[in-house]
Amino acid sequence: MEEAKPPKPTIDPKPGPSVEMMMAVKERAWIDLLVIASAFLLLVPIISIHRVIDFMIFCIFALSFDLIYGYMGRLSFGHLLFLGTGAYSCGLFIKYIDKNPLLAILVGILVSCLLGIFVGLVVVRATGACFALMNLAFNFIGFFLVLSPLRDITKGEDGFGIHAQSFWFLNPANKTNMFLFALLCLLLVFFLLRRLTSSPYGILIRSIKEDETRVRFLGYNTYFYKWLTFTVAGTVAGLAGTLSALNYKFVNPNVMDVHGNVGVVFACLIGGAGHLYGAIAGGVAYMMISNYLAIHILRWEMFLGLSLLMIVFRFRKGIWGSILTLWDYWRRPKEMQPAG
Amino acid sequence: MLYTILYGFSMGAILYFIAIGLSLTFGTMRVINFAHTLTYSIGVYMLITFIPLFKWNFIASAALAILVVIPISYLIEKFIIRRLYGESLDYTFIATFAITLIGVDTIKWIWGVFPHPVSDPIGTYLKIGDLTFPIYRIIVFVIAIALFFALELFFKKTIVGKIVVAALEDKDGVRCLGIKVDKYFSGVFILGSALAGLGGILYAPIGAVHPYMGLSVLLLAFAVVIVGGMGSLKGTFFSAFTLGMVMALTARYWSQGAETMVFIVMAIVLMFRPIDI
Repeated sequence: MEEAKPPKPTIDPKPGPSVEMMMAVKERAWIDLLVIASAFLLLVPIISIHRVIDFMIFCIFALSFDLIYGYMGRLSFGHLLFLGTGAYSCGLFIKYIDKNPLLAILVGILVSCLLGIFVGLVVVRATGACFALMNLAFNFIGFFLVLSPLRDITKGEDGFGIHAQSFWFLNPANKTNMFLFALLCLLLVFFLLRRLTSSPYGILIRSIKEDETRVRFLGYNTYFYKWLTFTVAGTVAGLAGTLSALNYKFVNPNVMDVHGNVGVVFACLIGGAGHLYGAIAGGVAYMMISNYLAIHILRWEMFLGLSLLMIVFRFRKGIWGSILTLWDYWRRPKEMQPAG
Repeated sequence: MLYTILYGFSMGAILYFIAIGLSLTFGTMRVINFAHTLTYSIGVYMLITFIPLFKWNFIASAALAILVVIPISYLIEKFIIRRLYGESLDYTFIATFAITLIGVDTIKWIWGVFPHPVSDPIGTYLKIGDLTFPIYRIIVFVIAIALFFALELFFKKTIVGKIVVAALEDKDGVRCLGIKVDKYFSGVFILGSALAGLGGILYAPIGAVHPYMGLSVLLLAFAVVIVGGMGSLKGTFFSAFTLGMVMALTARYWSQGAETMVFIVMAIVLMFRPIDI
């Protein structure tokens, strides 16, 4: 029998983000991007290309949600508001002003960023359930606005088609171009969020998740950081919205239907909240379930509910969290051998 | 204008029925119950099932529907809500939402997705001068007032009510007195669910019956609870009638905007009085 080892001191080996760590992040970023790009390229032959575009857009959205929920620890039940805002402002720009898709994407991002700035000012003051419900209320207001008072512009429930011209290599009519562009956007978002979450700012928002009062004691203005995070997440969700509008060439109020929010929460949880890879894994898993299971199983909402319950009671770490645990388990004996 | 006020009162009464259970559940167990209005929809669907069986006797089928709701809410409490005590709010939110999803899908499975009409069980009108009021709405309003006083009496005079009120203030203190708080909490939960079922049954002849009816009214009930203050009985009563009146007045001038106006009121209240949970 092996004798019991003295417990290792549980001091985190990484005291803070030093310059070396930032360099390491920079180097690792290339590997991360390569892995993601090759994973999605591998998916293309397995499932059709337009589905993969869908998957990637949803992954961008799940990443933006993960920033709020996984990293900052605030559950939002109205994140689709930003996706819908991006989609609608992009679509309306193309319909009424100019048919340039790149410009429309920029407009969509800008509008959802502005919306994030204003909604964030109100919303970040609340915590817990109030945060979730206020987001839900704003989402409901947005859904209602496009459905009814702005009916003349947005065509109400029917929605409207988007006919964008091609610009440079961005050609919404060509699936390959669209795929490459969406992949580029996903990699860009991933890289940006990776840098953001491993910076001192990222550590600060994770500390807000742990205990906001203590962070405030340290002298940080937590409202500002929460607001900033909310705005960034809203902007990224807006990007996902513009991409989905260009991809479907069609917008209707369903893009910001309040009940759709459960999808992204599910994706984030099943993938493992608080990890960027987790958001991507969860996004792909959710899209697989909703695309394929919905065809084969009639009662798929029930399945979704049951699996959410399972996750809450048994599987909180999610896919990526379990992989990390396994990885640790597999690696630990090797590290301990020379020491013991 | 009188019609609008009457509509506001009956809407407020329905909102009160639904929100009171939510408020009590939150106040006692600190669980945000997204599955609360599931019993509301189940009550209505049971009513639809029972009405033809009982030869269109509304009261008998309503009573039976509420009796069916009680064991269902007991099961939900025992197997899901009780495991969520002391959990972080996110997980309770998600778990109870999952129950709602399962319940809505079951309703769709059994009764189909199409809306069912329920006719006004009384159907007569009260005539005062030139004005006619549907008696049914007046009865709903009267029931709500009666329920408010009954609940006040229950919580002020009976020992069970007193224990629950004390547990709202300080749960651990009550437990130290040797009282099994959890048992009373599950009683409160079942009471709240039964009241939600009653609210649904009373609302069915006014509104439409469809599987997602619970979700749309749930958001309104949350708004009522937040405006009135979580776990406060009087606050819930007054905010229910205020918001019902807001809905009625908005609907008079701008019919689609009624629900949105409630959320705007809720957002304003939250802005000036954020609740830390």
